[in-house]
Amino acid sequence: MKKAIALVVLFQCCFIGLMAQGPLPPVDKSPMDMSYYPAGYPVLKIQDKVTDPLTARVVYSRPQKAGRTIYGGLVKYGEVWRLGANEATEIEFYKNVRIGGKKVSKGRYTLYAIANETSWTIIINKDTDTWGSFKYNIKKDVVRTDVPVQKTDSPIESLAMGFEKSTLGFNLIIGWDTIKVSVPFSF
Amino acid sequence: MKRSALLLLASCLFFSCNNNKEEKPAPTDKTVKNDTITRPRPEKTTNNYVPVDLSPMDMSYYPADYPKLKMTKTPTVPPRARVIYSRPHLQGRQLFHDVLKYGEPWRLGANEATELDLYTDATIQGKKIPAGRYILYCIPGQETWTIILNSNIDSWGLQPDPASDIARYTVPVQQTSNAIEFFTMVFQMRTGGVDLLMAWENIEVRLPFSF
Repeated sequence: MKKAIALVVLFQCCFIGLMAQGPLPPVDKSPMDMSYYPAGYPVLKIQDKVTDPLTARVVYSRPQKAGRTIYGGLVKYGEVWRLGANEATEIEFYKNVRIGGKKVSKGRYTLYAIANETSWTIIINKDTDTWGSFKYNIKKDVVRTDVPVQKTDSPIESLAMGFEKSTLGFNLIIGWDTIKVSVPFSF
Repeated sequence: MKRSALLLLASCLFFSCNNNKEEKPAPTDKTVKNDTITRPRPEKTTNNYVPVDLSPMDMSYYPADYPKLKMTKTPTVPPRARVIYSRPHLQGRQLFHDVLKYGEPWRLGANEATELDLYTDATIQGKKIPAGRYILYCIPGQETWTIILNSNIDSWGLQPDPASDIARYTVPVQQTSNAIEFFTMVFQMRTGGVDLLMAWENIEVRLPFSF
């Protein structure tokens, strides 16, 4: 077993080494992604099918479950979690929105969460262009709101975020493993 | 022990498997150029929410790794710029002409249009550009590439619209010292400024910035 692990490590090091190419960045293990509201806005835009104005987007990295225990394991209950990997997860509003009864002005923010068993606290913080949640500063919070935890129909391997329309505005859906939350925004 | 072995194996598979056919559901618009390539997503189960892209997105800051700098110490300078781009990979194809063609506009990435965020005013190849958000695309040539700064932000792929072009820059093509599988954009320091380096296969071009 040890030998097998050593071989795998060696192989992986070689592979990552090949990709490292000196000062050039290798491809991230948790790839970055972007979601817009309205959903698919960039595609709608080039197809002249935009009906609702550009409102929000998230830029986040997508770790994989890879057989691990996520909640209560990798993501510790009650601790600030960066909702992603690598660069801090960014949420941008193209116009003023309301969340948790509070107005959030248009602009870029960092998104964090505190996961618990039955609810998550979603945090919008104004310290942008940062990494992970290592330097999280509660003083820079703009708003915190609690949302209930829901079960997904099927497990999700890679952390996923997307927006959907709601009666009052739109929701940010965050799903990973067997859990999802819906974060409601209004105008 | 078993778990760590599995984890390693899974991550190896993620890096190395690349032969299965699985198309990303691409927009049907004919202006969307198919420069993403087929590769299985790192998904063992379905993802009904958002499938993982075949060409992963990435981000490069100037100062380089600004978010990491910020984590380790308080930076003495503000962030100046960043690019957000997707990274298609060669996977056995030749850059010219399997993927790109000389003289044909290319979106410098994949999927969402490649975005340049200038946090402060910048001078790009001698031309002053105000702080703001832009997209970048290029027209590759054998000896030189034309890099184009355009204002059609939050768009997909490349919809040629010269009316929203802001500036065009001609930059020389240089050879890289080793082969580069994944398209790469990164800011690199040089005397008197910084270059936005764009590299793929065995060529690179540099767009000079100063702040």
